[in-house]
Amino acid sequence: MTDHNDTITREKFMAELWRYKRGSVTRRHFLGVTGLGTATAVLGAAMPGLMPRPAWSQANIGDRVILATWPNYHEPTNFEAFTEATGAAVQVNVFGSNEEMLAKLQAGGSGWDVFVPTNYTITTYVDEGLIEPIDVSRLPNYDASAFDARFASPGTVNDTLYAVSKNWGTTGYAINTAKNGDVTPTTWKEFWDMTMTNFSGRTMVHDYQLTTIGNALKYFGYSFNSVDANELADAEKLLLDAKPHLFAINSDYQPSMRSGDAWMTMCWTGDGKQLNTDIPEIKYVLGKEGGELWSDFYAIPKGAPHMDAAYALIDFLLTPENNAKEALFHGYPVADARTNALLPAELLNDPIIYPAADLLSALEFGAAATLTDPNRAELLARFKSA
Amino acid sequence: MGYIHVSMDIDRLEQFTAESPDPDAPAIRIAEMRGATKRYGDVLAADNLNLTIFKGEFLSFLGPSGCGKTTALRMLAGFEEPTSGDILLDGEVVNSVPAHRRPVNMVFQHYALFPHLNVADNISYGLRQQRPKPPKDQIDDAVRQTLETVRMPGFGPRRIWEMSGGQQQRVALARALINQPKLLLLDEPMAALDRKLRRDMQIELQSLQRKLGITFVLVTHDQEEALSMSDRIAIMRGGRIVQIGSPRDLYDRPNSRYVADFVGKSNFIDGVVAEIDGPKIALKTPDGQKLQGMAVGQLAKGDAATISLRPEQCSLARKQPSNTQAGMRLPVKIINRIFLGEHTEYLVKTENFGDFLVLVPRQAETAEGRFEPGDDAWLYWQTSSALVLQAD
Amino acid sequence: MQPRVKTWLFLMPAGLWFLTMLVLPLVVVFIFSFGERGAAGGYVPAFTLDQYANLPARWAAFRNTLTLAPIGTVVCLLIAYPLAYFLALRTTPKWRTLLLILVIVPFWTSILIRSYAWIFILGGRGLPTLISALGLGDVQLINTPFAVLVGIVYGYLPLMVFPIFVSLERLDKRLLEASSDLGCPPWRSFLNVTLPLSMPGVATGCMLVFILLMGEFLIPAILGGGKVFFVGNALVDLFLQSRNWAYGSAVAVTLVAIMLVTVTAYMRFTRRWAGGRDDVSLM
Repeated sequence: MTDHNDTITREKFMAELWRYKRGSVTRRHFLGVTGLGTATAVLGAAMPGLMPRPAWSQANIGDRVILATWPNYHEPTNFEAFTEATGAAVQVNVFGSNEEMLAKLQAGGSGWDVFVPTNYTITTYVDEGLIEPIDVSRLPNYDASAFDARFASPGTVNDTLYAVSKNWGTTGYAINTAKNGDVTPTTWKEFWDMTMTNFSGRTMVHDYQLTTIGNALKYFGYSFNSVDANELADAEKLLLDAKPHLFAINSDYQPSMRSGDAWMTMCWTGDGKQLNTDIPEIKYVLGKEGGELWSDFYAIPKGAPHMDAAYALIDFLLTPENNAKEALFHGYPVADARTNALLPAELLNDPIIYPAADLLSALEFGAAATLTDPNRAELLARFKSA
Repeated sequence: MGYIHVSMDIDRLEQFTAESPDPDAPAIRIAEMRGATKRYGDVLAADNLNLTIFKGEFLSFLGPSGCGKTTALRMLAGFEEPTSGDILLDGEVVNSVPAHRRPVNMVFQHYALFPHLNVADNISYGLRQQRPKPPKDQIDDAVRQTLETVRMPGFGPRRIWEMSGGQQQRVALARALINQPKLLLLDEPMAALDRKLRRDMQIELQSLQRKLGITFVLVTHDQEEALSMSDRIAIMRGGRIVQIGSPRDLYDRPNSRYVADFVGKSNFIDGVVAEIDGPKIALKTPDGQKLQGMAVGQLAKGDAATISLRPEQCSLARKQPSNTQAGMRLPVKIINRIFLGEHTEYLVKTENFGDFLVLVPRQAETAEGRFEPGDDAWLYWQTSSALVLQAD
Repeated sequence: MQPRVKTWLFLMPAGLWFLTMLVLPLVVVFIFSFGERGAAGGYVPAFTLDQYANLPARWAAFRNTLTLAPIGTVVCLLIAYPLAYFLALRTTPKWRTLLLILVIVPFWTSILIRSYAWIFILGGRGLPTLISALGLGDVQLINTPFAVLVGIVYGYLPLMVFPIFVSLERLDKRLLEASSDLGCPPWRSFLNVTLPLSMPGVATGCMLVFILLMGEFLIPAILGGGKVFFVGNALVDLFLQSRNWAYGSAVAVTLVAIMLVTVTAYMRFTRRWAGGRDDVSLM
């Protein structure tokens, strides 16, 4: 491809981050919260037949490929380049939560070619027969050995590769330390205790069972993924106690953090980075007790209508040059060493994006059980409606 | 036919003809308009109206739409405040007294009955607004009586939209009458009724008015209606009252071509006043003929004027009538004949003055024989029946 | 025979639409409500009343909805009536058109975006700043039932204004003159004539707002900060998050049942009011 991707200046990096930040909505929150469903954007030419069809794929892969993913998660120019190279226009369906994505696939007839599941959902997709195994031979630019196994391995279920690593991230919390005497807390225990004391009315938690329940479980030192009835009962009590003190149950926390209405919130890596960049007193904290580590993947749903195009798109996006552009756009860490080699040092050394090893090791991947466990779902419902 | 040479202005005419229906009782002035004027922006809806309404009379405002008759009525009702001039009720100026504090009730053009109330509740509405509120049984009695008065006994619980047009009219009347108003205002109350029903209602309304002795003020554009029901009629035009008088006065002594034309049918001959000899006037027509008639109002030599001739004042003859027989005569051709029972109406064509209507009574027709369309004939009339009016 | 066939042919498209878009989904939801949740979510055919037995678990959602929907409806009515009255009876036609457009204009933007605007108005830097600057103390407005109520009233006001406006505009002004003529002062004429005759508009507006509020989920999610939980939010969660379609269907069927009862009561009320008259359109 072109040459200027190989090195990237600090200015360019910051510009890219700014561009990311300008996206008014961040991952998962908006549509998920509102339940509005899918927003669809069509990128690329409306008349792909007129496009030249050189280099990328020798075979005719059709005129379109449909991608189900999260908001602000892809570099649009990559899609344009893909369409130019292959003649296939990329049609994007944006989703609010893994649960919603699963619901849509379970309902059938999604029409997707590629989707972006999170680690803990993949076994469910496999069990439900909703996902195609990946034929690595059709991904010439994918190199399994270049990926950090820790983040890539959830893509393999029963020794079969179903999903290839896109990027990963953590779930911690963001706190406006100016409201806490410039003291940065370090644990989930402090998060909940402060919520019920000096941060009363100023804390936000996700509208999302995995992290909200998981981080409440962490208060007691339980597993983030626990489905144990007694442990969940403890978490529920904590959540119900905390509820009157919460500012909101909402995964769209950036506006309230920026306006100063909220002082502390459960937070994903990318949001933490953005808030910290703009408002330095907002720190991103990974609880010492642990919390969520997550990894997103590219996968192909069963019965994808444009299978060739699906492989072509995944292969294109995983090509290190293109993946680096993706990383610069979405601001999350990538597990592919080849891609990281192309990224600037500032990004790779950022403690928010790449946390210290000891903090990282305490984190847990979300477990599939939490996704399907009716008790956790009901617990969250009771918490929200209390 | 001795009513010759009546020249007068409106005010004097009013005094002249003001008569109470009961000749023995003194005329009581119940309402007055004194120079009442109403402007809407540039539009002069009512222009210097002067009028006295006497207790117990049936007065009509008659005129085409837009003549100001409804504005006059609305000023009496209290819906409009005069821009200048005064409205008096019982001798008191009530210009700014709102409608709900005037002892005056109205029957609206399309009745304006309350669709959400039944017949009885519509009728009792006025009584129920009185403070202190009359006792329920008293109201019920009044409603029952009023329903009988308008010949709708037992209709109380019925819904308004179940009523026919005539029935709605009676309900509207009852709703106003039950309050025993000083003035009952009727705004084109019969406009929505068919012809037959309208005739019946007119008779009924008139007898009701005589029976109850309530003063009625009617607004109508229907001259027949006004003539048949009213004690007095105020003819309106362009916001002004042009003539007030009894139906007979207006018919026999119209003070303008407009009134003559509006009240009954008339034949007109335009010309210029050529000679004045006491009440007699000689009018010179455009073709140079001189026609004579009796003056109504002040006329001077050279004034544009019109001879007005009622159809029944005209006669037809086969042979040229002698001078003693007729004041004026013209040769005509019969164009059309309409048999009306007691009379026959002929349409005849004159040489110079257009078409004339002639109403021939049955006896006269037997004497002279029937004319057929196409026949030649002589049209003649008495000078005294030709009125010379100011041209409009 | 021939005309009947024709009538049927004409009615076919509407009938099919009605069947597939309205009846069929309701039937599906009804059947699902007797089923069970699959191991990984979704629906497993069964015949059980467990889902209905479990309804009390969403009691809070029903309580919130059945509290805030009527309150929202009443507040909408209290604000909309004077507004509609002013528009219909106290403005010149030229101003009326302009003001009516102003009432509609917000509809040109998504309720989502308009509700977000309220986040900033009710948020810490908005009204509360003003209130504390006036020395009236610190208040939190956003993410409270009050904020949800504000959002509801804001969002649904036009739906209330228009039916009332139409009924007031259609009101025969001569009836007010008649009332006045019969000795009734203006304020009592309003109670005796205007108010009863605008009741169809009031009832229609209330019904529109109430029914739509019963299914509302966006405003509580955005302005309630997820802390004010409506049945609509429960349904979103059940279908999109926990994927408990069977239970979600039972909740939905219950909601529909409540609405049916409300609409029936409404029809009874208006029928009685109108006394069986055909020429008064109530919907």
